[in-house]
Amino acid sequence: MQRRDRGIAQSLGLLLTKCVKESRVLLVGAGGIGCEVLKNLVCCGFGSLSGTASSKKPGIVVIDLDTIDLSNLNRQFLFRKRHIKKPKAFVAKETASQFNPSVDIDAHHASIFDSQYNVEFFETFDLVFNALDNLAARRHVNRMCLAANVPLIESGTTGFNGQVQAIKKRVTECYDCNPKPVQKTFPICTIRIWAKSYLLPELFGTSEEESADVAVTEGDSADELAKLKEEAEALKNVRRMMGKSEFAQEVFNKVFHDDIERLRSMTEMWQSRKAPEALSFEGLKAGSETEIIEHGRTLAEQDQAVWSVQDDLAVFTYSLDTLSNRCLTGEKVIEFDKDDKDTLDFVASAANLRSHIFDIPLHSEWEIKQMAGNIIPAIATSNALTASLCVMEGFKILRSQLGSVGGKEEATLGGAKMVFLNSRSTERMITTQTLAPPKADCPVCSPVYAKLRLRNGEGGKATLQELVDLLKEKVGYDEFAITTEAGIIYDPDLEDNLEKPLKDYVTHGNGFITVSDEGDEAKVDLVLSTVAHSGEDAELQLLPDSIMLPYKPKRESPAETNGHAKEIRATPEVVAAPTTTSSAGAKRKREADEEAESVKKRVMASKSEVHVVDDDGAILLDDD
Amino acid sequence: MAVTDADVPPPLLDIPKAKEKKYDRQLRLWGIGGQIALEETHILLINSGSGVTGVEMLKNLVLPLIHHPRLRCGVGGRSRCELLHGRCLAWQVPGSRDGHAITEPLETFITKDDVFSPYNLIVAAAPTHANILERIQTHSQTLHIPAFYFHSVGYLSSFSLLLPPAFPIVDTHPDSTATTDLRLLRPWSALSQFAKEKAEGLEDGTISAPDKAHIPWACLLLHYLEQWKQQHDGKVPNTYKEKSEFRNLVRAGDPNEENFEEAYAAVLKTLNPPTAPSAVREIFAAPETQQLDAASSAFWLIANAVAQFYAKHEQLPLPGAVPDMKAQSADYIMLQNIYKSKARDDCAEVVTSVRELEKQTGRSPKQAVDEKEVENFCKGAAHIHLVRGRPLQIAHAGQIIAFGDRAKAMASELNMPESLIGLHIAFLAWDEYVATHSTPASQAGGVGLKVPGSGADDFGIDTQRVTGIAHKIVDSLIKEAGTFVEDPEYSEVKDRVGKFCMEIVRAGGGELHNIASLTGGLLAQEVIKVITRQYIPVDNTCLFDGVASRTQVLRL
Repeated sequence: MQRRDRGIAQSLGLLLTKCVKESRVLLVGAGGIGCEVLKNLVCCGFGSLSGTASSKKPGIVVIDLDTIDLSNLNRQFLFRKRHIKKPKAFVAKETASQFNPSVDIDAHHASIFDSQYNVEFFETFDLVFNALDNLAARRHVNRMCLAANVPLIESGTTGFNGQVQAIKKRVTECYDCNPKPVQKTFPICTIRIWAKSYLLPELFGTSEEESADVAVTEGDSADELAKLKEEAEALKNVRRMMGKSEFAQEVFNKVFHDDIERLRSMTEMWQSRKAPEALSFEGLKAGSETEIIEHGRTLAEQDQAVWSVQDDLAVFTYSLDTLSNRCLTGEKVIEFDKDDKDTLDFVASAANLRSHIFDIPLHSEWEIKQMAGNIIPAIATSNALTASLCVMEGFKILRSQLGSVGGKEEATLGGAKMVFLNSRSTERMITTQTLAPPKADCPVCSPVYAKLRLRNGEGGKATLQELVDLLKEKVGYDEFAITTEAGIIYDPDLEDNLEKPLKDYVTHGNGFITVSDEGDEAKVDLVLSTVAHSGEDAELQLLPDSIMLPYKPKRESPAETNGHAKEIRATPEVVAAPTTTSSAGAKRKREADEEAESVKKRVMASKSEVHVVDDDGAILLDDD
Repeated sequence: MAVTDADVPPPLLDIPKAKEKKYDRQLRLWGIGGQIALEETHILLINSGSGVTGVEMLKNLVLPLIHHPRLRCGVGGRSRCELLHGRCLAWQVPGSRDGHAITEPLETFITKDDVFSPYNLIVAAAPTHANILERIQTHSQTLHIPAFYFHSVGYLSSFSLLLPPAFPIVDTHPDSTATTDLRLLRPWSALSQFAKEKAEGLEDGTISAPDKAHIPWACLLLHYLEQWKQQHDGKVPNTYKEKSEFRNLVRAGDPNEENFEEAYAAVLKTLNPPTAPSAVREIFAAPETQQLDAASSAFWLIANAVAQFYAKHEQLPLPGAVPDMKAQSADYIMLQNIYKSKARDDCAEVVTSVRELEKQTGRSPKQAVDEKEVENFCKGAAHIHLVRGRPLQIAHAGQIIAFGDRAKAMASELNMPESLIGLHIAFLAWDEYVATHSTPASQAGGVGLKVPGSGADDFGIDTQRVTGIAHKIVDSLIKEAGTFVEDPEYSEVKDRVGKFCMEIVRAGGGELHNIASLTGGLLAQEVIKVITRQYIPVDNTCLFDGVASRTQVLRL
């Protein structure tokens, strides 16, 4: 036994050590938690004996889309200054491999949403670790792991807090069993959002630019919306002047004078509050164009100071000039990025100018960065702690797969728990909670999952009709609906799409198709994870070949539907729990989710005006 | 804005750009003051065993840029030390490469007189010889340098903090929900006057609808409190029942407006008498506060001045922050100014007392207390904290380990099935085993420390030995506490302790990397708290059970 293995073997025992070494794990994300998880996996020997001698597969696969930024270096310890701008996945592999040469790491600089990471890819792993920073990717991996029936260890940190959750289909709650709290919103941010999600995209983005962090307020009057449309149109005209010397002045007077005057003219809005005061470029500017730009450049270095209105004008002019030059020298679209200083300068100065107009306190650029950039404080220790807790849960899950030891009743997932870290507290730094069983009405984990193999996505000829026929034949459906990411594509009253090729709806080889029973006595939903193949297999193939779906549990009389479990692989072992909503309820919930998504997409900068001064008259302020 | 005063660190005026960017994410937690404190720290790590936990801790400290970690390895000789050094550098961020390893043998290194003086924090890994631990303890107590001593064996770990006998913290970063202090039960005239103006016409209905909808909730509460007092012999709502009644009175003012709803929701949270928490009053009564001299630290001087303020006004200086509330901008800003100016006045009064105390104690003008420090203290006065450091429990061969004034509390811990006191006792027994089995050559440190279970065939016999020592400690603790534990509880206590003993012997002194990483994380976290003097550190022993994934903190 190698020396490095002695401690591991003595702590874990030989059986579990072997299991750890022979496991194959996927790590999604090589950031704060990811770097630490990778180090722990490598140092504990995960995957060092993965695969058989003849077909050895890398024991650890790490996927990350990001490149390394300077602000990562205070905690992502696998990276050095010389690695800035390089892909995180590659550098993480390179550094971590040195800790234990017997571990083979496969690094991918890619998005987890890519079609190559389909359900069959996920099925090759024993464990998946999520070390992600966004909701969408977390939810996606959660779904993929449910589809592939692979245990997932989900984690996250904020400041001194952290959380780890083990997820196993049909055994524990999934990531989506509980609605996620909406990210903290900053009321005052409305101004920042106006600058970041309306003004910047209107000038330098594609005008349909969508922003996820703009929310709708109800009761926006049609008049106001029409006004905004008009304003956006006018702004497009101004945009055409980009590169001309009077560009800054035009933009400035358009958004900080003309638009404000128009708003001010709606007198009924200003009965109970102070009307905005328009600014004019000529009135504020001090010095020549070049002097202003130079002044702005100097000021932009002083991001701790709160700039005066004149200062804001200078920074605004300077950043507009810089961004215009970038635009004219080939950058087609410039999006807000908190680490792109030029866009931050622009947003900070524009937001402050607008704040001034509405008599709201001004902020330093540093403060605005936190508000506009959704910056979450992050430190090395919380990541290290959370990552160790993740790998600890990994041990437990692997142990549970060894089966019960000594005839004892095994706890759920080998005793895995929901673990909370609060290292700011002194008494309860690490605490646990028993993992809850899956929610019977969870729209994500309650359906039955199966695979749908289609011949190579792009070239495939199969039509929707063929899928409908296949489902009728293999699953025994009568009346049912088919939903994809695009919405409902088929139901008993919607047959227009039948002749269209499936590939129109499933462009990625790793999407999901939901089939819901519309009959009176509805069966549980069936979720098909699509897998594109280019082999000799059939054009369209369902795996498993035949599926018998259990009925949806009813509210009053919970059905014991274990009966099908032996017949087909895809049937859940435990389907029913006493408290479930009706099928319509589940569907409503799903629709509500989709609705929320599409609302998010619909909402555009158009609303932002109304945000700043929303219709109930409140101008919310921060407490400085 | 959701980022409140408590969350926003002071601005960073003097940090170079790139550095600021690199540390942006952590500066948002502990501010520039904390960052400077970290960068001025020199840490001595006396590493031992396989050393993973110590190195993991260093990594977590080097990343946020503690400039000069010194590495000192007790066991394993030169090569191990250099290996650790190499790995540490591999983990080090560029620009902070002055951490270095000390390869001099521990026994000679430790005997030098001023060996600890370059450092302001010492961390020692188990196993460390009892004599060396004693030396560290003496140095730490003489020089008031914090010291840490940790174990990390298999799934289990623990660490103890040896802090100075008085370790005060001003910047405790309380939850932002706990910091709202509007003094609505004791309004001063400017505030009452403002509330009166804002609520003008509310009762007779002459106020315009928009004005009514924009009365800040603090003003609404003040208005209804006046009404309540008139109906209740000048008394404010005190009991839960009265507060609920009062709440309904507020809501009845207008059930539909958001500001009334905000006021309703704020009643229970904000209508509290401005009494200082007991922990704060204890600080006021502490001998250090009461008996000042020219050398007293600024903290005690300010504490005395604030105590005077409290005695005079029966309330602490006003923090001055105003939370979000629905209001017109002008009103809100005016309200903010009313609070800020009262906070400034309160602070000025404290400053005057501080200056007076400086004169009385004959403090040199060079040591004058910074006004900023007074301001900061006043802002967080309700949340200041004092940790009374206690000595480490050091196990010597054949000696009884005393629990002192903690014996009673720890003996009652023994009876709690969930308590991790058993783990602490198991580690004490482990230490005593090491002390008993060390070879003469190692009396002063260096090579030769033998840990339980490390030999090929030691498991059975060492489990018995360690368990035996642990049971002896249990008995002496019960005796010291002057209590009895009867069967079956007594057997259960011994069983629980025995299980921990078996587990740590089974690991044979080996570290499980993952647990080492976790323990290194916990250690680094506490080191940062201690160095930055922000947040409240562990007082004084933290135990971690990796099998159950949970921690417990015991005061020993």
